[in-house]
Amino acid sequence: MAKRTPALKVAGLKKAFGPTTIVDHFNLQVYAGEAVALTGRNGAGKSTVLRCIVGIDRPDEGTIDVCGQKLKETDPLIRRNMATVIDDLDFFPDLSVVEHLDLLARAHNVPDADGVVDDILDQVRLVPQSGQLPGTLSSGQRRRLALATAFVRPRKLLVLDEPEQRLDVEGVRWLADRLNQELADGLAVVFASHEPYLVENVATRVVHIGEGREEVERDGAPGLIDADPETEAPTPAPQPKPQQNQPKKKPAPSQGRKRKRTR
Amino acid sequence: MSPEQPAESTETVDTSAVDPKELLAQIKEWRTGRATKTLWEALQDTYVVVLAVAVFGAMIIAAIFSAQTDAAACTSGACISARTLVPWAVLAGVAALAISVARLFGPVVASAAEGFWLLDAPINRARLLRNRLILFIVVAGVVGAALGALAAALTGSGGAAIGAWAAACGLAAASLVAFAAAEQGAERRLTTRIAGFVFSAAAVAALVLVVGIAAGWFQVVIGLNQEVQIAVIIAGLALLLLIISAILAGIRLGSIRRTHLTSGGSLVSGMAGAMYALDFGLAHDMVVEREALERGHVRPTRGRGVGVAQLFHRDVQRLLRKPSMLLPVAATIVIPYATSALGLGRFAPIIAGLALFATLIPIQNGLRVLTRTSGLARCLPYTDGQIKATSIEASMVIGGVWALATIPAFLGIYPDALTGIVAAVCTAAAGILGAARWTTAKPVDYGAPMLATGAGALPPGLIFNLLRGFEVVLIITALLVFNLPWYLPLAAVGLAYFFVIHFKFDLDEMREQQAEQQKKLAAERAKRG
Repeated sequence: MAKRTPALKVAGLKKAFGPTTIVDHFNLQVYAGEAVALTGRNGAGKSTVLRCIVGIDRPDEGTIDVCGQKLKETDPLIRRNMATVIDDLDFFPDLSVVEHLDLLARAHNVPDADGVVDDILDQVRLVPQSGQLPGTLSSGQRRRLALATAFVRPRKLLVLDEPEQRLDVEGVRWLADRLNQELADGLAVVFASHEPYLVENVATRVVHIGEGREEVERDGAPGLIDADPETEAPTPAPQPKPQQNQPKKKPAPSQGRKRKRTR
Repeated sequence: MSPEQPAESTETVDTSAVDPKELLAQIKEWRTGRATKTLWEALQDTYVVVLAVAVFGAMIIAAIFSAQTDAAACTSGACISARTLVPWAVLAGVAALAISVARLFGPVVASAAEGFWLLDAPINRARLLRNRLILFIVVAGVVGAALGALAAALTGSGGAAIGAWAAACGLAAASLVAFAAAEQGAERRLTTRIAGFVFSAAAVAALVLVVGIAAGWFQVVIGLNQEVQIAVIIAGLALLLLIISAILAGIRLGSIRRTHLTSGGSLVSGMAGAMYALDFGLAHDMVVEREALERGHVRPTRGRGVGVAQLFHRDVQRLLRKPSMLLPVAATIVIPYATSALGLGRFAPIIAGLALFATLIPIQNGLRVLTRTSGLARCLPYTDGQIKATSIEASMVIGGVWALATIPAFLGIYPDALTGIVAAVCTAAAGILGAARWTTAKPVDYGAPMLATGAGALPPGLIFNLLRGFEVVLIITALLVFNLPWYLPLAAVGLAYFFVIHFKFDLDEMREQQAEQQKKLAAERAKRG
């Protein structure tokens, strides 16, 4: 039987800033269909691990492989396979919300880019803002746009750093559903989070980073995690508030463009 | 209050209860109380700087007087045309600069702290802001007058003309700042935008006229005496506009919204920080961001095709949305013709290359965003080289048109046709690649080891960033100035293209590769015994 190649393999990762070692001998393997949640207190090193995984920071020691290939941030194949939502995402100040997504979808040769863009725009509830320039968006809307950039393009591995930041309760619930859909589609997900609902409802494994690091496998039943006493009981789903601005009907596909859908 | 008495829903706020002047005086007193030095002591500590400024200032004034005397003696056609028309160009330029800067920042601004602590209080906002409005108008007037006097003096005008142009430029700048303040109070931006565009176009037209007259393309139509009278009339009209605008601005001061005041204030502090760190790229980004914020919304357009060409398509779309970006580039076409006509043809590649470099920077905004952080480039399945190469394609098309339009000028400068064509192409390439190099600059790393200089320890990036882009233009165009064989400038363009677009110096990666090689070598040695 052929050996499965992990979507992400981190071996012996060490990262220090000056005399302070943030991460030491960190190992992680994530396979397709798995979601690993990195948890831990602020400053434990979750974001440092993720920054090394996506290639923003270079580890002092250790190796990182993405889909069987050694990590090189500028490699087009790595860029194609790994979608990231980290805080360093920039936006073109003079391109609208929908144009950013359209640009990414087409740059990745997505067939029926219009349809994909319109669907994701609807999911992240940015249809009314589709023509706005990024500078005019609220921080929550910018976060939704950042998340949309990860879902509008092909990917095998999804790396998210605290994706729940600045999302409202409905947004967190949508994100959990969306990530579960990604897992069902056979993608691998690694995310750092402080949101118990997201961790319990998405993660198949929880890696607690910090003092007394531990790794806990989820047994398959949604919400049952033995990570630590604080997360033993499944957290109830956040209750969304009714939305005022989002149109009830599905949006016109191209915000003024002709609808042309083949799916 | 009796139960029958209704709640105070119609209560009016008495803004006269708190005097803004008293508040500001109180803040000043707190600050003065914390001061550890008197002004005199501070001057004593920095006497070297004070003396240097005094000596340097005296040298500049002496040089201006000398230049004025020399220029006044010149009676050639070029001198007369300059004396007649340069002050006009400076007047239009000062007016354009004053209204553009005023519109960009406010002109009335407040810091974030003032916005939170003072503007939130029930005080008379107009009284709080009045002094700073007057200050901005006066500063604009003084700077405008100084520039007008300088231009008139350097072109050899007499005392009366210098005074008239100083008054015209100073009052024009002051009146336009007051006008922008009045429009800010009325929350109108279109009028100031149109005024800025009109004055910019007038400045460019006046400069082209100066060059054209000096080159013999046009005839002088205004006499020197008439010109002084016109300058006085302009000063009078500007004074009238200043009085009306200042009154209107004063009336509307109280109605300027807090967000409008503090957004200008935060832009001022951000730009000041960027300029203090000599990070001109960051300052440019702030201006671009501000313009986008002002626009706020666009009509989305559909992409075409798939693949990396999308980046080019979006650059074209940017140009279609803001075609005014092309006007300065188009204006630089006149430079090779003008330098040739003025007998400075030898330096045409350097002057035109630098002008093209400066005017192409706004067109490469897409490249700037893709390279200032790795976040967006990481989302695209292409190498950094592919992304950069595609992001300068729009500039290359514009540069190609520019080269075609300037070939006749270069054919007049160089003895053979091949060299002339190569000069036009290489000058355009120098401008494009210089702009690309400037645009892809990374912020200065203050954590890196410092360089010892006469001005103290400086991070190496700070020094190199000051030269960034210029060096590419100068190296390529210097080969043309020295009239070296045609293939050398072309080779320099090829090398510069590789260096700017595809070369990436990654010290960490080189170390990693070295360690890998050493490991392999050690393993080989171990095998051999």
